[in-house]
Amino acid sequence: MTGLAALCMVLPGRVTFGDKELRWPTLAEVFSTSPNLSQGEEINTVESPAMQAPSLEERAGGEVVPSAMQTPVSIPKVPVDSVTDSRVFLAAFYASLAESSERVVRVLHYGDSQIEEDRMTQQLREALQARYGGSGVGLMPLAQTIPSRTVKQQLHMNGRMIQPAQGPRRYIVYGSKRDQRSDGLYGVMGQVAVMNDSMVTGSESLMAVCTPQDNRNRYTDWRIFADSTIHYSTAGDTVYLSGRGAVYGLSQQSDTGVIVDNIPMRGCLGIVFTKIDSAQLASFYRQENVRLIIMQFGGNAIPSNRNPGTIQAIVKGLRDQVQYLKTCAPEADILFIGPSDMLTQENGEWITYPMVPYMDRLLQKMAADEQIAYFSLYRWMGGSGSMARWQETGLAGSDGVHFTRSGARKAGKAVAEWIIEGIKN
Amino acid sequence: MHHIFAFDANSPLLFTQFYFWAFFALVYALFALIVESPLRSKSKVKSRLHLRNVYLLFVSWFFYYKTSGLFLLILAFVTLSDWIIAGRIHKYQTANPKSQIPKALLALSVIIDLGLLAYFKYAYFFTNMVNDLFGTGFRVFDIFAYIGNGFSQAGRFSVDTIVLPVGISFYIFQVISYTADVYRRRIEPVKNILDFGFYVSFFPQLVAGPIVRAEEFIPQLYKPFRLSRRLFGIAVFWILNGLAKKIIMSDYLAVNLIDRVFDNPLLFSGFENLFALFAYSLQVYADFSGYTDIAIGVAMLMGFYLPQNFDSPYKSQNPQEFWRRWHMSLGRWLKTYLYIPLGGNRSIGFGTYFWWTVIAFVSAALTGWWWQILVPFAVFMAVVVIVNRQMVHGKSSHSKLLYSNLNSFITQVLGGLWHGASWNFIIWGGINGLGMIVNKIWRETGWHVRFAAMTVLTFGLMALDYAYNLPVWRLFAVWAAIVWTGTAIRYIYWLVTADKIINQKLAIINRKLSTAWAVLQTFTFITFTRLFFRSSSNLDPASANEVAWTTAKNMVNQIGGAWNNAIIPDFLWEYRWVVAMFVAGMVIHWVPADWKRRYRLAFAAMPLWLMVIAVCAAIIVIYQFVTADMQPFIYFQF
Repeated sequence: MTGLAALCMVLPGRVTFGDKELRWPTLAEVFSTSPNLSQGEEINTVESPAMQAPSLEERAGGEVVPSAMQTPVSIPKVPVDSVTDSRVFLAAFYASLAESSERVVRVLHYGDSQIEEDRMTQQLREALQARYGGSGVGLMPLAQTIPSRTVKQQLHMNGRMIQPAQGPRRYIVYGSKRDQRSDGLYGVMGQVAVMNDSMVTGSESLMAVCTPQDNRNRYTDWRIFADSTIHYSTAGDTVYLSGRGAVYGLSQQSDTGVIVDNIPMRGCLGIVFTKIDSAQLASFYRQENVRLIIMQFGGNAIPSNRNPGTIQAIVKGLRDQVQYLKTCAPEADILFIGPSDMLTQENGEWITYPMVPYMDRLLQKMAADEQIAYFSLYRWMGGSGSMARWQETGLAGSDGVHFTRSGARKAGKAVAEWIIEGIKN
Repeated sequence: MHHIFAFDANSPLLFTQFYFWAFFALVYALFALIVESPLRSKSKVKSRLHLRNVYLLFVSWFFYYKTSGLFLLILAFVTLSDWIIAGRIHKYQTANPKSQIPKALLALSVIIDLGLLAYFKYAYFFTNMVNDLFGTGFRVFDIFAYIGNGFSQAGRFSVDTIVLPVGISFYIFQVISYTADVYRRRIEPVKNILDFGFYVSFFPQLVAGPIVRAEEFIPQLYKPFRLSRRLFGIAVFWILNGLAKKIIMSDYLAVNLIDRVFDNPLLFSGFENLFALFAYSLQVYADFSGYTDIAIGVAMLMGFYLPQNFDSPYKSQNPQEFWRRWHMSLGRWLKTYLYIPLGGNRSIGFGTYFWWTVIAFVSAALTGWWWQILVPFAVFMAVVVIVNRQMVHGKSSHSKLLYSNLNSFITQVLGGLWHGASWNFIIWGGINGLGMIVNKIWRETGWHVRFAAMTVLTFGLMALDYAYNLPVWRLFAVWAAIVWTGTAIRYIYWLVTADKIINQKLAIINRKLSTAWAVLQTFTFITFTRLFFRSSSNLDPASANEVAWTTAKNMVNQIGGAWNNAIIPDFLWEYRWVVAMFVAGMVIHWVPADWKRRYRLAFAAMPLWLMVIAVCAAIIVIYQFVTADMQPFIYFQF
């Protein structure tokens, strides 16, 4: 023991051999009793609106990530003039809600794995539909490979129940190379199911039974987005499809009120919209009266990038996406939701990824420049280290990245309340 | 100073922290002064022993205070209550061997001990169960917080939550074993309460076992300290071995893969889920056995022997053997104080019928299938009663099989409940119980029947898979087909040789392959029971049950439904470190016990300077895993 203590004093924190390094505890670490979260800013537990003006310290911007062991990464300043409430950029959307008694007003919620299973979108849908009418869960893919909390799907092919993976061939814009297609015809969800010869044997060869899990979501109608070569009919919860061609999505929806679509893109950075055919997007956005597009991305950039330059490039890429969507959907407002707090282990301690606050700040600046709304999940949660609190209270998983269902519910509710609060003001 | 001595719920004393080792170094230095101080006369031996025991008792209490704060009072209370009751039992027994008072006292002590355990560990569970069954809206009430606040609902302690005191499941079982052993006259009661307190709260094993039985440990209290050079080496080896298991095989695998998959099975493909499940099997073992290895090593340095707790359990060839090698101190405890009192393999009595009825009712309440469970259960019990009357008690092998199955199933289910207060642990215990029964019957069965039964089962499951095309049937059908293949090969071998040895070499190969096959089958079975083993203790039981159930369901759905061979190579490459650690862990686990003993002894026999270098090297390696960069998230399935 004494020998080890002596060694700690003699050895430096780490020794590097080429790109590998050997680490060794420092004496301070040996005598520290607290195992977790030793660094980071004060955790702010007040669930204040995320968009409040940044504190003086925060406005000062330039942060140096404290780390006993690592060469400090210097993160550049991001001056953000965000004293104005970014909800002013949602004015057109707010105004459009008045039309909801006569026609559909559509909200698309794109995001990464944090919004899978309709965990977060559901809260916004419920809140908006309670005020402005409308029912139905909105869009879902033909083959729902990721189950949803709000709608349960069963596929039958030629009379036999099949698993989603056994169904039509899927192409996914955010998937791996082998899942992609070159023509960009992915449809509005960024994924498409292509029915081929084996599925045209009968008149009702493919049957999708889509059961809403909550009676409040009871729909009144179906909308099927598919090539004209696809024939379909519906009865209650069930859609019957036959023919050869692409199916871009099924939607359970009323014909008036607000429809909020959950469009999760697993593992996606959000830099994929430009790969989707613009004509296809534009026609959907126009016909379906899409008035708000929510983009919730950024989290997937964090774990593998430790360099501010890369983060800048990614945010630049996201900016291109925002501009692209603006041209495809000139009628729609855009809300960007930044990444949540995310934890990693450094020298055995759970800390916030140094790039989370930086990216949050860059995204906020990008949003301000592009005149779109911005919601900072990270700051709403309480800033650096808040994910650990969420874990302790069962709101986040042990991976330090994903919310649990109750955590997602809480976050979804906060976003919904923030949007609705904007209407009142 | 305050930081060092005060209780802080966020920084308990754990074996994996430097702080613990600094603590232990100080404790050990003073301990050495006590036990090595020169003696002026022989009569001082006793008082030195006494000083040592008292010293370690206070150190242990400090350790528990650092870990659990004021729950130290609970520990002190059960120590006092069992010491007094056991003393009374002994007194009445010596005064009048036929007296019924000792029995009543034993019951009193068990009620107090289990009552405390039930209150702290199962209050939420029982409240929740009552609310579910009767639609009531009871909530738990922390009576100890109420008292702590000076009989007030408001104050320093919250009355709405009951916090589980660390290690309560372990030390409650220890005090029960003591009182029961005194009652059964296996040991004399301990005269000095401080000595007894030391037995109950000895810090290396206080929070996670092994559960030391009174008759094994109490005699050691009166033996002077002795630590040979070789034992010192072995103790150091156990500590390092435990740290490596805990940090490399458990924490590293958990953080970089297992937790992610169990948190969100749907984010991962079938193969990743299956891999994570097997890795979880290794993790649970490495975590728990690593911790007890360290406990054994630390105790050994102070001259105390704690019983072995794990004997490479994944080498087992059947579930029954697994339970003899896994958490052995708990297994022995349950056998001595539950299974044998129920009748063991010799008889069944009131206890057996009582617990079976409870289990049947609880399963019916849990599933909502009242008559579907209770009617077959009533028929089954009627058959058991009739058969039991016909049998000559405990003589025939059939009656032994029946009795042992009935009683061991109860032991498994209650053992499951001991691990955690939620349904998933009961289900887990039940599956293990069933596995043992099926395996025992299987081993009593001839090859013709085995092959026929396996064939029927496999085709039945395949038909179900075809008819319903659900992932769960796919999973079972594939599993059954694999078992069927093994059974068919061995059946053919048996038909050809008809148990006569035709060729010595072939017979040896057959035996080795059969062993490997049995080990793999047992490991797979145990791994699948782990679907129900993961606890989520920071949630209330209602959501803990829901989360546990959803996780198990989603994992089965992914394994049986979202299988995609194309992504397996990508996964193996991207997660190569995690995969390598898992494979290394399993290979080391399966190294023959004899080799392990040899390298342990070789380590112990090293010259001191070499041992110091080896220890430093091992710690550097372990530290690299503590500080390793996290495996980034990579998705393969979209």
